[in-house]
Amino acid sequence: MGPIVEVENVSKRFGPITALVDVTLDVPSGVIYGLLGPSGSGKTTLIRLIAGALRASTGQVRVFGRRQPSRANAARIGYMTQSAALYPDLSLRENLTFFGTLYGLNDRRLRERVETIAAEVELADRLDSPLHTFSGGMRQRASLACALLHEPDLLILDEPTVGLDPVLRRAFWERFRRLAAAGRTLIVSSHVMDEADRCDHLAFLREGRLLATGSPSELRQITDQANLEDAFLALAAGAGSLLEGGVR
Amino acid sequence: MNLRRILALATRIVHQFRRDRRTLFLLFVVPVLVLSLLAWIYRGDGASQVSLAVVNEGQSPLAAQIVTGLQQDDSLTVREMDAAAATAALDRGEVDAVLTLPADLSLRPGGPPQQIDVTLDGSDPSTTSAVMGALTRTLPETVVRAVNPAGLPIQIAPRFLHGGPEFDRLDYLAPVIIGFFVFFFVFLLTSVSFLRERSEGSIERLIVSPLGRGEIVLGYMLGFTLFAALQATVTILFAVYALRIHYVGNLGLVFLFTLLLTLGAVNLGIFLSTFARTELQVVQFIPLVIVPQALLSGILWPIDSLPEPLQWLAHALPLTYAAEALRGVMIRGDGLAALWVNLAVLAGFAVLMVVLGTSTLRRETA
Repeated sequence: MGPIVEVENVSKRFGPITALVDVTLDVPSGVIYGLLGPSGSGKTTLIRLIAGALRASTGQVRVFGRRQPSRANAARIGYMTQSAALYPDLSLRENLTFFGTLYGLNDRRLRERVETIAAEVELADRLDSPLHTFSGGMRQRASLACALLHEPDLLILDEPTVGLDPVLRRAFWERFRRLAAAGRTLIVSSHVMDEADRCDHLAFLREGRLLATGSPSELRQITDQANLEDAFLALAAGAGSLLEGGVR
Repeated sequence: MNLRRILALATRIVHQFRRDRRTLFLLFVVPVLVLSLLAWIYRGDGASQVSLAVVNEGQSPLAAQIVTGLQQDDSLTVREMDAAAATAALDRGEVDAVLTLPADLSLRPGGPPQQIDVTLDGSDPSTTSAVMGALTRTLPETVVRAVNPAGLPIQIAPRFLHGGPEFDRLDYLAPVIIGFFVFFFVFLLTSVSFLRERSEGSIERLIVSPLGRGEIVLGYMLGFTLFAALQATVTILFAVYALRIHYVGNLGLVFLFTLLLTLGAVNLGIFLSTFARTELQVVQFIPLVIVPQALLSGILWPIDSLPEPLQWLAHALPLTYAAEALRGVMIRGDGLAALWVNLAVLAGFAVLMVVLGTSTLRRETA
């Protein structure tokens, strides 16, 4: 099977600001693909380009072989934005029902999925409470539930574990692993290096440029470092002296 | 276009406002309160009472007759006093004007006209015109009665094509108030909802979902049209049944014009919310978008009475056409044949706003 996501020489400018410079990477099917980098490195821009919320300035992004943004892809993608991005005045059930209907679930299937997904993120007892009564962690689980509701083939999660306590964070990663095992593809961004080891593939980003891609062990190997944080630092230092697109 | 998705968005908007008591209060109670207040102002007693001091210098028979005539006028309170007391009372604001009847006041047919001095405070134009109105109404009649007890030999007998002798400012204002509140609240609520959609980031979720941009606009229009129709119904029922305002029109046409105004207001809200980053900035659009329309669209003053350049401006504002149409339908019982220009202009405004609203959404994925 070919790659689910193909990013080819993509640059993105916002007026005078360049957010991404000539990024190329492939995301294979059924893996957890981590986008790692400090804040401001272009992770969110790359995620939004893949999700179809933005258009590339140059180069192209293809998902399921179709150029993004593509209406035909929309129903197969689940997208969790960095902020909860739900409707605080509505109950969790109303939020889920709204997004489920947008993604074309019929009434019966929708009722089933709302119950199932609420149980999965341990919010079954809060289904009818308005979201503004939720804590930050609950809101993040609600946001994940909305992205998972229509059982997308590709899940794009922008810093899904930010601000979560260690117990919840572990639960999130275990859920991601189960989804990947069930054949779904996940793109997860993070600025926390200790999450990098939980991914199958990694892309290191810094200042809008791709430093390197590979599995965690490959990245440790090419940099001759024992942990990924040191690997990132070595690559970042190397990029300063190397020409554009040096280490790949 | 998928009807289910559009309905899902409209339902979501209804759910969002259903539980928001403050917004519901603004939507349904405020128009009723404002109409009640206007009814009180225009129909309550005492507002037009003018207090007059009369200085009767000579006690001539004609002067006595004039005083009696003035006392019989319901809109006047007449007190006789001497010149010094009258001036002091006027200065203290206890009376609105001082009428001085000269000592030698008498009817001299063929002689030069005689003068009665009126001293006014002059600092409030509405009091000035109330005093002068009452005097010009009462004095000639009183003077004529002095010679001819039957009064003026020629009387004016008004007949009305529309309205009637009981028709007042409130009857004239109520149809426009309905249109004004629909436009104001729909514009405000749409721009704030859309702004929240952007600031909370949920617009991003909508844009990557299968929901098309046209569907977003349609869903918003459908959701807010429901609130606008409910608001118009509440306001009309209150005005017609509780305030007994003059109403001869076709309710369907009232709703048709309200609907067109709503569609324009929703999309204007979507469009202008692009230029605001906070809810405060949305509120700052009110003086720009709402106040000129309130002043110029014929709500308070007839458009014909405006200076010519302002008349052109008034004819560029959608509320002008809606106000005119709502008055035509409710007061004169006009049908579509008389109002098709208004219909076409409002439809054109709605289409223009839909295009602008949709195009701002397109820029969302720039």
